[in-house]
Amino acid sequence: MPRAKIYGYIALLVSTALAALFFYYSFYGPVAGGLFSALAADYAYYAVAVPLGLLVFIVLGTGFWIGWTILTIKVAPPMPEIVEKKDYAKPKALLLCLATLALMALFAYGVYLKSYWALAVPAAAFTLVVLGMVFWVGLAIITTRATLPDGKK
Amino acid sequence: MRALFLCYRGNPFCGGQGVYLYYLTRELAKLGVEIDVIVGPPYPEPMEKWARVYRTENLNIWSIRTEHFGYEKLARVLSPMNFVDYLLTRFHAFPEMETFSMRAFNLTRKLLKERHYDIIHDVQCLGWGLLPMKGFGMPIVTTVHHPLTKDREADFIRDKSFWEYATTVLFYPLGMQRIVINRLDRVVTSSMEGVDELEKAFGLKRDKISVVYNGLDVEVFSNGGEKRGENTLLFVGNTEDYKKGTRYLLEALSLLPKKVKLTIVDEGPPKRLSAYELAKRFGVEDRVTFTGKVSMAALVHLYCTATLVVVSSLHEGFGLPAAEGMACETPVVSTTSGALKEVMKHGETGLLVPPKDPRAMADAIMQLLSNKKLREKMGKAGRKRAVENFSWPVAAKNTLDVYRRTIDEYRSNR
Repeated sequence: MPRAKIYGYIALLVSTALAALFFYYSFYGPVAGGLFSALAADYAYYAVAVPLGLLVFIVLGTGFWIGWTILTIKVAPPMPEIVEKKDYAKPKALLLCLATLALMALFAYGVYLKSYWALAVPAAAFTLVVLGMVFWVGLAIITTRATLPDGKK
Repeated sequence: MRALFLCYRGNPFCGGQGVYLYYLTRELAKLGVEIDVIVGPPYPEPMEKWARVYRTENLNIWSIRTEHFGYEKLARVLSPMNFVDYLLTRFHAFPEMETFSMRAFNLTRKLLKERHYDIIHDVQCLGWGLLPMKGFGMPIVTTVHHPLTKDREADFIRDKSFWEYATTVLFYPLGMQRIVINRLDRVVTSSMEGVDELEKAFGLKRDKISVVYNGLDVEVFSNGGEKRGENTLLFVGNTEDYKKGTRYLLEALSLLPKKVKLTIVDEGPPKRLSAYELAKRFGVEDRVTFTGKVSMAALVHLYCTATLVVVSSLHEGFGLPAAEGMACETPVVSTTSGALKEVMKHGETGLLVPPKDPRAMADAIMQLLSNKKLREKMGKAGRKRAVENFSWPVAAKNTLDVYRRTIDEYRSNR
């Protein structure tokens, strides 16, 4: 069997298992109550915190990576006609790195404390971004002419 | 043999990959290869005579504001893949390669129900979708003329603010390309220089890379005996691209006698101001002519009537203007950057000078301008070299050799 097919089967099994675990602990566990009463709430919390945390770390990690790349740019000296760069790009990049690291640490600490807000704030941010974009596209569709006005070619 | 080509932008006037797709598939078909093509917009010129062409959707919305999409595109934005495209472009990413590769994966899966392929040939997309394609049980080769790290470096040099740097970092999908390229069966590049660059940019093993020189249409790019001008230099390229080294060419022009004129095949003012501003700075603006966009026939005419072709690049993945000039029997003065030292032969088809050295470039230009016999000799030698090394039939034959070796290796390893 080609190696790629093996990876395909592994991906299938792992994703199915993870999906089952997620639904079990985030929905069935809390509802079933009694059997899992001691741990059900904890498991439910982490079932949401882990995937959301991955998303948070991907987004903040991208921010950190942008800052780090700017901090470590090594290119040929600029052309003589390119004006001296006065935008303080490197200090801003450093600030971005520190801010993203601080937010990652804050999120991790919030999850450690099992804080509701540690999940609610990033979830709200992601949801609002996606819904905001859908809203914006909808608004643009409504306010854009589908056809040219009468008399115009 | 049947090959499936994947190209995220197929139009020859939108970039090198469109030209590559068009001519290479045409010549491969002449060698008996059955060609299928999955291509994204802008779509290529008709290729149906020698290939089956499957067109995929892409909205091409990068850098366009939502309210300027127009109704047709807006109505399509909410489909899942287009929405991913939309979402990422709003954050200044360039997801065309990712979404094209996923669409190509889905389409290939459908095609494989009816058709069989011996090999998949990706044209510098390197999107995530190529990874699951490995499960189709056939080798995948990709062509990369030069890694995007070179383009990013050039952008970094021009960037002036934090915001410009940040959007440049987001724009280039280098992380994805690094992961994908190391998992493909073979990588084709167009020069020995390209091998070094791919190794440096993506940590790619050298033994996974094959060099196949780019082709050009030597029938179209040929000298019809037009009367050649005296003291006229020709530069073909994007003057806004820092890598083209226009600044050094214009400085070299300022060191040459006033009778020497330069024709630039690119837009000038008011659309593009960089080169014109530089020309003014060096006091040569009245000796520089901008042609704007020209037809293929007009471009060939310019090559054939110029005294010399000049290439001032600081980096070239291949250096097509040098090869085109040679095919038109015009000697070339070029820098040694990138693959140019492989395309040219110093002292035989023209002269090579170090990059960023206007004095050396001016001296080399003067040396050739003052020796008509040498120019004619170099012109003939250039034509011979172009036909023998850089024609599309040669590129297709060498590509087919790569296919055969890759398929053999792939099947023997299974």
